[in-house]
Amino acid sequence: MAETLNDYLLRAGRLADGGLRFIDRGEQAVWVGWGEVRERALAVAGGLLALGVAPGERVALVFPTGVEFFAGFFGALLAGAVPVPLYPPVRLGRLREYVARTTRMLAACGACLVLADARVKRFLGEAVATARPSHGCRTLADLPAGGLPAAAAVAAGVRPRPDDLALIQFSSGTTVAPKAVALSHRAIVAQTEILSGSWHDDEAVRHSCASWLPLYHDMGLIGCVFPALARDASLTLLPPELFVVRPALWLRAIGRYGATISPAPNFGYSLCLSRVADADMEGVDLSCWRAALNGAEPVAPGVLRAFAERFARWGFSPAALTPVYGLSEAALAVTFSALDEPYRSGWYDREALARERVARPTPAGGSGAGAGEPGREIVSVGRPLPGFRLSVRDPHGRELPPRRVGRLWVTGPSLMQGYLGDAEGTARALRDGWLDTGDLGFLDDGELYLAGRAKDLIILRGRNHSPAEIEQAVDALPGVRAGCAVAVSWLPEGAPGEVLALFVERSRHATAAELAALPDACREAVLAATGLAIDRFEVLAPGTLPRTSSGKLQRSEALRLYLEGALAPPAPVTPLHLARAVARSSLAYVRWRVARRGKGLP
Amino acid sequence: MDTDILEGIAEVAREHLGWDGPLTGDMRLIEDLRLDSVRLLTLAAEVENRYRVRLDESDEAAIVTVGDLVETVRRKLG
Repeated sequence: MAETLNDYLLRAGRLADGGLRFIDRGEQAVWVGWGEVRERALAVAGGLLALGVAPGERVALVFPTGVEFFAGFFGALLAGAVPVPLYPPVRLGRLREYVARTTRMLAACGACLVLADARVKRFLGEAVATARPSHGCRTLADLPAGGLPAAAAVAAGVRPRPDDLALIQFSSGTTVAPKAVALSHRAIVAQTEILSGSWHDDEAVRHSCASWLPLYHDMGLIGCVFPALARDASLTLLPPELFVVRPALWLRAIGRYGATISPAPNFGYSLCLSRVADADMEGVDLSCWRAALNGAEPVAPGVLRAFAERFARWGFSPAALTPVYGLSEAALAVTFSALDEPYRSGWYDREALARERVARPTPAGGSGAGAGEPGREIVSVGRPLPGFRLSVRDPHGRELPPRRVGRLWVTGPSLMQGYLGDAEGTARALRDGWLDTGDLGFLDDGELYLAGRAKDLIILRGRNHSPAEIEQAVDALPGVRAGCAVAVSWLPEGAPGEVLALFVERSRHATAAELAALPDACREAVLAATGLAIDRFEVLAPGTLPRTSSGKLQRSEALRLYLEGALAPPAPVTPLHLARAVARSSLAYVRWRVARRGKGLP
Repeated sequence: MDTDILEGIAEVAREHLGWDGPLTGDMRLIEDLRLDSVRLLTLAAEVENRYRVRLDESDEAAIVTVGDLVETVRRKLG
């Protein structure tokens, strides 16, 4: 029984079909068995020890999807260090923002060394100069080779204990307040065993996974890599940037290599609907795909339905659709819906959900959700995984009965140790062995349904963003009241994914010209700073945004008011007002969808 | 500026980014074309695909406008 991630690596490579398959843009595959991954990692570990990297020190990794990432990641572990995967730069611009983020993340994790791809390394100069890791920034080739022989180094090196840190992952990349989630070997191994235990091999099937998810993302690394390693099985990997441009290559890889498991956030399924042509699917057989896991962002029921209908022609089974729930603070997965059944959804009274925080079942509506129906469709993300428990609580921390909406707390064997270097944040998130997820939800018949977020977090295309970063981008624009912008995202009914809204209060001294220029100026500033497109934008009178008694802006309350059509200077709420708000929000959605279609977007 | 390449990039923008307006060399990719990170990625990959060139990070760092992109492609093809 493995106790550490290192144990998995040291014993893997016994089976001929265990290893990594890297797919490039020409759909050529390069195979690297787990044994070879281990050999390469040992060489890196030898280099790290020769360099003087000490046990427990953090080694940041900035690599595209490829074998070098694995050599660096496992090399750091074998040397007793703690790997910290960071993301490589995005293409075409915004490098300043990339450097700023990377600098903050290097500082937050206290990295002693940055290992990077040769192409990426050239861009890290400024980040490295600012964060000053003691061993600088190196490519794998720059590591000293003549040190201790690698195997002896590992044998002599300190073997990590289960409670030592195994990995640090950032729950959201941000320049503002990066949260470095610290996970122990014990937590990672527990999560890996739970996931591996979900796939039972028999004579008929040997499970394998295909993934385009980034390796600095929990679903890509913890969800795909570790279970494949633990099971000594194969994992087919596509670079995320290739998937975004050619999503068909993901589906083709699943078919060609007979992958049974492949996860993606809602965004991935939605992108396939809009950007995969029938011609791309010629000869593809998706009948091997048993578990199309869908997590990391809210699951849109319309996308699930459309995906199942569209790809049934190529053998895709609706029973494969598996909505799941998890978060990086719990290492990854917390709940799974049933693996061999189609997904489930419930219809709940919209008004009761919003006003009374009660999930009152209503008759199922048509396939397209709309404001004309009293019910709102919510997809079940299933039941807790073995060892996990859920608790839905009211604002005073009291557990609520089923079908009451509250804040979701979870406990289980793979919770983080805390946020590295942030005792205050850790104390807020972890209490008496329970993790405050910051998500809102309810239980119905033992299954979890999510109903929004209480925490301040933007989730777009499966990736987390800090609202503060978006708000800061517009803070200094002429016409904006300083410190009075709020960014929120949510999944509108019937929409294929979350939308991003920005609410700004205008300055009391704003000129007419400044106000006229404000929408464009804000959109440009946010795009330039974060790469995110604003879907909805409101300029508000000074003092409109809700605040706490201490004057802090309340983002989730601002969103609630906006959705009720009440984000305006105090006005009486009447039934007519509400009806108008509902009509307005559904009209806004239709407009938004038409506009996106016009731009060729999903 | 190389007008053939500009026209080629305009075609990529129309086909893959849904850009239906005119495209001129002085337009900035982020601020004027309003490209978010996914669409920047799409533009880079589709331009590479069309011209069979490989842009690397050091090229890309200098690309701010459509004209910069045209110039980079021209240099690569040259």
